[in-house]
Amino acid sequence: MTIGIVALLLTDAAGLAIPWALKSVIDSLSSKPQTGALLSMAGLIFFLSCIQAASRFGWRKCLFGPARLIERDLLNHLFRHFLSLDTPFYQTHSVGDMMSRATNDLRAVREFVGLGLLIWVDAVVVIVSALGLMFWIHPVVTFWVLLPLPIVSLLFFNFIKKIGEGHAAVQVHLSKITSQVQENVAGIRTLHTFVQEEHQKKLFDKLNREYIDKNLRVAKLYGIFSPSYIFTLGISALVSLWIGGNATLAGEMTLGEFVAFNGYLLMLSWPMMGLGYVINLGQKGRVAMGRLLEILNAEPLVNDSLVQNDRNFLIRGSVAFKSVTFSYPNANKTSLNDVDLLIPKGQRLGIVGRVGAGKTSLINLILRLYDPESGVVEIDGLPINQIPLDVLRKNVVRVEQEPFLFSMSIRDNIALGDSSADDSQILSVVHSAGLQDDIERLPNGLDTLIGERGVSLSGGQKQRVALARALLAGPKVLILDDAFSALDGDTESQVLTEILSRLDNVTLILVTQKLQTARKMDFIVFMEDGRILEQGTHNELMQTNGKYAHTYRNQELAMDMEITLQ
Amino acid sequence: MKNKPQGESLEDRYLDWALFRRILSYLLAFKNWVILSILLLLVVSVLNLAGPYLTKIAIDDHISVNKIEGLDKIALLYFGILVAAFACQFAQIWLLQWIGQRVMYGMRTEIFTHMHRLPFRYFDKNPIGKIVTRVVNDVESLNEMLTSGLILVFNDVFTLVGIFCVLLFLDWRLALVVCLIFPFLVMAAKAYRVRARDAVRKNRSHVSRINSALEENLSGMTLLQLFGRQNEFYKKFSDANEDKLHEDMRALHYSSVFMPSIDLFSSIAVGLIIWYGGGRFVQEEIPLGVLVAFLQYLQKFFEPVRDLAEKFNIIQTAMASSERIFELLDTPVEIIHSQIETRVKPVQGRVEFKNVWFAYNEGDYILKDISFTLEPGETLAIVGATGSGKSTIINALFRFYDVEKGDILIDGCSIKDMNKYDLRRQLALVPQDVFLFSGSILDNIRLGNTSKEMEEVTAVVDAVHAQEFIESLTDKFDYQIGEGGKGLSLGQRQLLSFARALAVNPGILVLDEATSSVDSETEILLQKAVGELTHGRTSIIIAHRLSTIKHADKALVLKNGEIVEWGLRKELLRKKGIFYNLYKMQADR
Repeated sequence: MTIGIVALLLTDAAGLAIPWALKSVIDSLSSKPQTGALLSMAGLIFFLSCIQAASRFGWRKCLFGPARLIERDLLNHLFRHFLSLDTPFYQTHSVGDMMSRATNDLRAVREFVGLGLLIWVDAVVVIVSALGLMFWIHPVVTFWVLLPLPIVSLLFFNFIKKIGEGHAAVQVHLSKITSQVQENVAGIRTLHTFVQEEHQKKLFDKLNREYIDKNLRVAKLYGIFSPSYIFTLGISALVSLWIGGNATLAGEMTLGEFVAFNGYLLMLSWPMMGLGYVINLGQKGRVAMGRLLEILNAEPLVNDSLVQNDRNFLIRGSVAFKSVTFSYPNANKTSLNDVDLLIPKGQRLGIVGRVGAGKTSLINLILRLYDPESGVVEIDGLPINQIPLDVLRKNVVRVEQEPFLFSMSIRDNIALGDSSADDSQILSVVHSAGLQDDIERLPNGLDTLIGERGVSLSGGQKQRVALARALLAGPKVLILDDAFSALDGDTESQVLTEILSRLDNVTLILVTQKLQTARKMDFIVFMEDGRILEQGTHNELMQTNGKYAHTYRNQELAMDMEITLQ
Repeated sequence: MKNKPQGESLEDRYLDWALFRRILSYLLAFKNWVILSILLLLVVSVLNLAGPYLTKIAIDDHISVNKIEGLDKIALLYFGILVAAFACQFAQIWLLQWIGQRVMYGMRTEIFTHMHRLPFRYFDKNPIGKIVTRVVNDVESLNEMLTSGLILVFNDVFTLVGIFCVLLFLDWRLALVVCLIFPFLVMAAKAYRVRARDAVRKNRSHVSRINSALEENLSGMTLLQLFGRQNEFYKKFSDANEDKLHEDMRALHYSSVFMPSIDLFSSIAVGLIIWYGGGRFVQEEIPLGVLVAFLQYLQKFFEPVRDLAEKFNIIQTAMASSERIFELLDTPVEIIHSQIETRVKPVQGRVEFKNVWFAYNEGDYILKDISFTLEPGETLAIVGATGSGKSTIINALFRFYDVEKGDILIDGCSIKDMNKYDLRRQLALVPQDVFLFSGSILDNIRLGNTSKEMEEVTAVVDAVHAQEFIESLTDKFDYQIGEGGKGLSLGQRQLLSFARALAVNPGILVLDEATSSVDSETEILLQKAVGELTHGRTSIIIAHRLSTIKHADKALVLKNGEIVEWGLRKELLRKKGIFYNLYKMQADR
C-alpha cells in the first residue's frame, strides 16, 4: 500500500516534470540549439516518461491489488458469517437481498477502497502541485483560468447524483418488466386459455414505453453532463489562450512557459472531475458498508450460550414438549399453542393434520431451528438449549417434503450425512431408500451430477436421496416430514417397511397427509390450529370417531376409487 | 477440457459476420438516424480537434510575431466552436440513446410476441428463468453494445483518423515520424486484447460460480447447518473466491502493463518529434506553432487507442447474447388461423371427439382412439387413474397441442379450422392448480376484460359463493395478491378460479378438480359453486371426488388412454361395471 502511494506520487511528479521539460525545450529553441542538445532534451522526456510508466505500473498493482485482496477477505468473512446465522435470520431476510449485499454492496466498498483512495491521493497531489507550478509561471492568468474549474467538480457531483437516481429508476422498471415476463411464462397456460395474449402485449408495451422514457431521461442528463464538462474545460483553455496569449505578447511569460501552462491545465481536468467522483464513491461506499455491517453485526439467536454439558453428551432419543407456544418471527398468528407431547425413546409417532395445522412447526422446534416463545422442548429430559447444537443435529435428522439438494454428484449429496462413509455404507442406505434401480439407470451412477437443486431428478428420486442422506447420518431421532409425498403407494410402503426394520430403537416421527401410512405408527397425534386435537393409537382414534376417523374414512374412499380405476 | 470447445466457439462467434449483419439489420429501420448520428460524431470529433489548431494559429500568427490584433477573433472563434461542440455532442448522445432504446423496444416486442406464439412443447422443455433472460437481460446487453460499443467505435476511429489527417496536413514528414511507432502500438493493443479477453472471460465464469454458490448456500443454509457442513462449504466457497482473485490479478496485471505502455509510446513519439521537429525548426523548415500543435495532438492521439482495445471486448459479449436471442426468434411458431368467421355465432356447446389419437412423444400414445359426443348443456364426468390420459383430453380440446389422428368438433366444426383465439373464447378452464397473477382480486377475476362492470363481477362472485371470503379481506376486491397467490388458502384460490371462469360466460366449461383436500365447509361451498358453473352449460369435469359423479349426465372411464366405459350415467349404472362400483362406494357412505 505504501509502495503504491509512493509510486503514485512518483507518477505525478514525472507527469508534472514533462510539461516543464517541454517548456525548456521550446524556450531553448529560440536560441537555436545544437542537435545534440535537442537529442538530450528528447532523451530527458523519454526518461521521465519511462519513470512515469514504471511507477504507474507500480501504483496500479499496489493500489488496485490490495483492494482486490480486501474484497476477497471481506467476501470470505461475510460468507463465514452467513454460515453462522440462524434460521430466524434467514426467515426475515430474502436470498435476493442478501445476494445483492454480498455482490453489489461489496463491489461498492471495494471501489471506494481501491479507486476512491487512489483518486483522492492523486487528485490532491496533482491539483496542489499543478496549481503551484501554474502560479509560479503566472499567478494572474492562473486565477482567471481556474475560475471555471470548480464548476466542473460541482457539475460532476450534482449530475452523478441525478444520473444515479435515474439509473435506479431504470433498474426498478427493468425488474418490473422481468416480473411481467416471468409471470407470463409461468402462467402461460392460464393466459392462453383465457385468450389474454393481446392484453398482455398491451401491458408489456406500456411497460416497455415507460422504460424507454426513463432511459431517455438518463440519456438527457448524461447528454448535458458530458459535453458541458468538456465545454467548461474548453472555456478554461480558451481563457488560457486569450489571457495567457496576451500575457505572453506583453512579455510577462515566455512561449515555453505558455505551452507548459497549457500542459498543466490539461492535467488538471481529470483530478477536478475526480474529486466529484470520489465524493460520490465515498457516499456509495459508506451506504454499502452500512448494509454489510447490518449483516455482519447480526447475531444468531439460536446459539450455544446455555450449554453446560460437554460435547461427549450422548442423545438416547426421547423427546418431550412441555406447554410449548411458538410463533414465527413477524407472524401475526401463533403456530403452536400450548402443546404437550411425550415421545419415548424408540417409539414411532405419526403426526397428521391439514396444511397449516402446525406439524412442521413442531418439527422445527425439535431440530431447534427456532426457540419456543414459552414452554420447554426436552431431549432425554434435558432442555434442548442446554445441548450443543452440533450434537443435537448430528442425532436428530429430518427429511423434508421438498428436500434441498446441492448441485453436486448424488454420492456427495448422500455423503452430506456422513463424509467419512465408505462405498458399502452408501450402497446400503441407497438400497434402504429404494434408490438402487434409479441410480443404475443414470449415466454415471452415483457420480451423476444432479444439476442445480437436483433438477435432473424426479420429485420421488429427490425425496429418496434425502432419505438416504439422513439414514447415512445414523440418527437417534429420525423425522420424516411428508417425505414420501411424491412416491406411489407401493414404493412408499416398501421404503417404510425397510426403514422400520433398519431403524430398530430409533425414535421415528412421521408427518404425513396419508392416514393409511400414519396408521402403521405406534401412536398418532392429530393437529389443528397449532394444537393437538386428538391423540392415541389408530384403533383408539377410530373409536373416538372424531376428526381423525372422519378424515381416515374419506381417504379410504378415495383410495378405493383409485383402486377400482386401476 | 470440457470448457475448451465452448471457448473456441466464442472465438468463432466473434468473427461471425452473418450474425453481425443480422444485428445491423435492426438498425436498418433507423438508417437515416444512424447516419445522422455518425455525422454528428464526425462533427464533434472535428470540433474537438480544432482547439489545438487554433492554439497553433495563435502562436504562429500572433504570439511569436507579436501581433495582438486578431487574437480576440481567434478567442471568439474558439468560443463558438466550444458552443457548437456542446450542442452537437448533446444531440449525438441523445440520438444514439434514442436509437438504442427504439431498437431494444422493437426487439423486445418481437420476442414477447414470438414467445406467446410458441408451442407449449417449448415451455415444457425450457425453464422459466432461461426464457426470461432472453427477453430481458440479453436484449439489455445488446443495447449496451449498440449504444456504447458499436457506434462509439466510430468516434474513436474518427478521432484517430482525424488527428492523423491534421498531423499530415501540418507537416507530413513529422507525421511519418510518428508512424514509426504504429506497428508497436498495434502489437501492444493486440497482445493486451487477447490476454485481457481471456482473463475477463475466466473471471466472469468465476464470478458466476461464486454467485451461484452463494445463492445455493443461502437457499440451502438450514440444511447444511443441520448436517454441520459449514467448514466444508466454506472451503469450497473460498476456493472459488481465490480463483476469481487470481483472474482479477491477472487482468489487473495486463492493464497495469498496457495502460502505461501506451503512455510510453506517446512519449516516445513526443521525444521523436522534439528531436526531429526541433531540428527542423532550428533549420527554419517549420514554424514553432506547428511543433506545439503537434505535441498537443499527440497527447490526444493515444486515448482512442486505449478505448478501442476495451470496446472490442464489449462487442464480443453482446454477440453471444444476440445469438441466444436469435435462437429463440428462430424457434418455429404455431400457426393461428387468422380468418375471423366462426366467432359471430354464439356457441351451442356440442362437443364431439372422433377417433382421437395423441402422443407427446412420437409413437407413445397417451390417448388411443377416443370418441365421445356431448350434447349442448350436458355434463360429462371423466374418471380414471393417475396417468390414464384425463388431462390430455383437456390439452387436446383447448388445442394446447394438436392431435395426431382423428378430429375434435365443436358444434360440428373441427377445431383445426377455427381461429385458436375464437376456440378458446368459447371455452373456460378451471385448472387443477390455480395460477394467480400478482395484482388485485378484481384483476384476477376479470383478467384482461377491464371493461367488465363491477356489477357483473359481483354477480359472478355471488354465483360461485366467493363473496364471503372476499368481503373478509382487508381491501376486498382491491386486495393485492402476492406472487403465486401467497396469502390465500387453497379453497379461496379455487373459488377465485371458478369466478374467473364464470366471468367469461363460456359456452363450454372444463373443470379439472383439485385433488388436495380442503376443510368440509369449504368443500360444501365448492360443490355448490360447481353446480352453479355447470348449470345449463356443456361441462366436462375431470372428477376426483365421488360426489361430483352423482351430478353428471354422462360419464367416461379412462384406462391407459383408452375408453373402458362410456355413456349416459343411468346406462352405466345398469351395466354394473367400474362406474357402478364407484357410484356404489359413494352411496354406501
